[in-house]
Amino acid sequence: MLAGIFSAVIGAFRRSIQLRYVALTVAFSAVALVAVGGFLSYSIGNGLFHTRVEQILQESKRATLDVQNTFNSSGATDVVSLQVLVNAVVPNLEQNVASGSRRVALLRTPNQATDQFLQSPISSTLVDSDIPIAMRAKVAKTENRLVYRTVTLNVSGNMEPSVIVGSKITIPIAGQYELYLVYDISDAQATLDFMQSTLAFGGLIMILLLGIVAYFVTGRIVGPVARAAQVAEELALGALDKRLPERGQDIVATLARSFNQMAQSLETQIGELSKLSKMQQRFVSDVSHELRTPLTTIKLAAEMLEARSGELDEKAQRSLDTLISQVARFESLLSDLLEISRYDAGAVVAELEPNDLNTVVKLAAAGLEPLAESLGCALDVRVPKGEVIADLDRRRIERVLRNLISNAIEHGSGKPIVIEVGQSKSAVAVTITDFGVGMSRNQMDRVFDRFWRADPARKRTTGGTGLGLAISLEDTHLHHGWLQVTSELGQGTTFRVTLPRKNGGIFTESPLPLGETLSQRKIV
Amino acid sequence: MVQKVLVVEDEELLNRQLCDMLETAGYEAVGSLDGVNAMLAFKSFNPDLVLLDIQLPPTSGIEVCKQIRAISGVPVIMLTAKTDDEDVVAGLEAGADDYIFKPMPSFKVLQARIEARLRPKPVPEVNELVIGPLVIDVLGHEVRRDGVRVPLTPLEFNLLQTLAEAPKQVFKREDLLKKVWGYHYDADTRLVNVHVQRLRSKIEDDPDNPKIVVTERGVGYKAGQF
Repeated sequence: MLAGIFSAVIGAFRRSIQLRYVALTVAFSAVALVAVGGFLSYSIGNGLFHTRVEQILQESKRATLDVQNTFNSSGATDVVSLQVLVNAVVPNLEQNVASGSRRVALLRTPNQATDQFLQSPISSTLVDSDIPIAMRAKVAKTENRLVYRTVTLNVSGNMEPSVIVGSKITIPIAGQYELYLVYDISDAQATLDFMQSTLAFGGLIMILLLGIVAYFVTGRIVGPVARAAQVAEELALGALDKRLPERGQDIVATLARSFNQMAQSLETQIGELSKLSKMQQRFVSDVSHELRTPLTTIKLAAEMLEARSGELDEKAQRSLDTLISQVARFESLLSDLLEISRYDAGAVVAELEPNDLNTVVKLAAAGLEPLAESLGCALDVRVPKGEVIADLDRRRIERVLRNLISNAIEHGSGKPIVIEVGQSKSAVAVTITDFGVGMSRNQMDRVFDRFWRADPARKRTTGGTGLGLAISLEDTHLHHGWLQVTSELGQGTTFRVTLPRKNGGIFTESPLPLGETLSQRKIV
Repeated sequence: MVQKVLVVEDEELLNRQLCDMLETAGYEAVGSLDGVNAMLAFKSFNPDLVLLDIQLPPTSGIEVCKQIRAISGVPVIMLTAKTDDEDVVAGLEAGADDYIFKPMPSFKVLQARIEARLRPKPVPEVNELVIGPLVIDVLGHEVRRDGVRVPLTPLEFNLLQTLAEAPKQVFKREDLLKKVWGYHYDADTRLVNVHVQRLRSKIEDDPDNPKIVVTERGVGYKAGQF
């Protein structure tokens, strides 16, 4: 529970720069206020106390002098009149005071040679033991000077901060006495307390206000930054027309202006690029369309000639064969170009329907059987029992497989081609393996590039366009599937198509292995 | 009797080549280079079949097809260099019976398509079929609804007749392509879909809620049960 709150607070701190700065401001100002408040409170308290003590000492001095003078000038010689004088001292001094109240004790200095015969008067709420012994000793030894102490006295249950001022009084006949005046300074303490609590309260209000000020000030600064961050994020997500409001001449406005300039140039450049790319796609598409009509004418003309090939001599016949085969190649090049341009334009939509992959694979293989036969290689199709149903655009997947199988036949050096179908809960896969020339690492990396050929000088049997694998890759991606290759020079090549079983389904592993070395597979 | 084919194609050389080959194959062929001339030639030549290019100046092949359909049910095969889906569908919706891309695999394929459209249906076993409110006069190649003739193209008629002849059978789209269009290999099933829509718009009370030509989900079509 506590840990949860703690981590929530930490999380809030991590996320909000504003919260961090408000907290920092509050913390620093609290430290500063405690320091200033402490100093103020100390020096004010000191001042208050000294003033009070000064006043007390003045009063005490006067009082002591009065008392001493009274005894000196009385001329009283008998005990009774002395006792009367002594008794009058306390009530006199108790009342005759400028500020607050004072209590009085007139105590005989102990250990004198003479006997004590006067009673020591003392204020009703004061007892002998309230005067510290150490003080009494000091007073006894001090001549013509006042001795004072600050103490806390228990007055009928209340602890009262008090100042005791002591001095020596000589009473004729009776001997050495000590006059103690006890002043209650709780009024000064109360003033100090009040001041301190006012200071503390004021400090708290101050910290709160500082926090609020910090909140608004950081808000003014963080706000535009947060807005900029949000707009930048939207921009990154593709909303290229997002801009920041530009107000004023300050640093924030400069940020907004620079940001907007950046966004503007980004938008312009991306716009231009996509326009160029659209133009290019459009161009490719237009060109292939425009070429179709003359191509049709040439093709039909060649077909017409072919129907009369009996009337041609050998050389003319060979020219006609060349014409026909090159027109066919031209045509497949055109249709591949058009297909790629449609992919580039994003104009391709898959028609996904449940299909039996086994059937598609068998059909594709059967279609290439004549080519395989002419090159003397066998097609070894291994499919699982029953049906392997998956959401496929059948036409495209058949095209992918035809393309991969004809590639395998072409590069298979006449050795058997293994075509295998696999399935798992979430995915279906086909591997096409040949044991022919294979590819180097570099060749493998470029095998899906457009118009790339492993060996430009190699004799071309199937008249491929150089776009086949690029289109196959697009077809596979259209299904959200994988098209992967592994190859070893001189050992052969395996292509693997992995497709999700359900449209939009997710798979993490292909049902068929790809990494298995080709030499191992050969033995199987 | 020699069958007549009107070739509407703006590329002069291709037009002539097609006409030459059609004539060599035993048809009577007339070429027309634009949409306006095409309609004039259609009326004077009275062809048995029209080969129609989609991209035509000044009126497009789709427009020409609509004009032909307004006055005749003669089979129309679209010839198109455009392979985008919407162009094909637009052509079929305008009333074309079939389409073939440029360049066609070979003239023989084109010829086979033409043959399939011109081939007379084998002599039927029954003279009349009834399906719901429709009476199909097989011999007279007519469909009547409450005694009123419903104008159908020969292809639409064949489609309806095929369904009506086996009222309990569900036809896969591929089966219909084979039986009605004469395709013997995997072809575009959109041909079937578009023509079923067109047929429904002519014979159904509520084409959105068809009773006569019923869709069997995931399989194909069959005749409605009444």
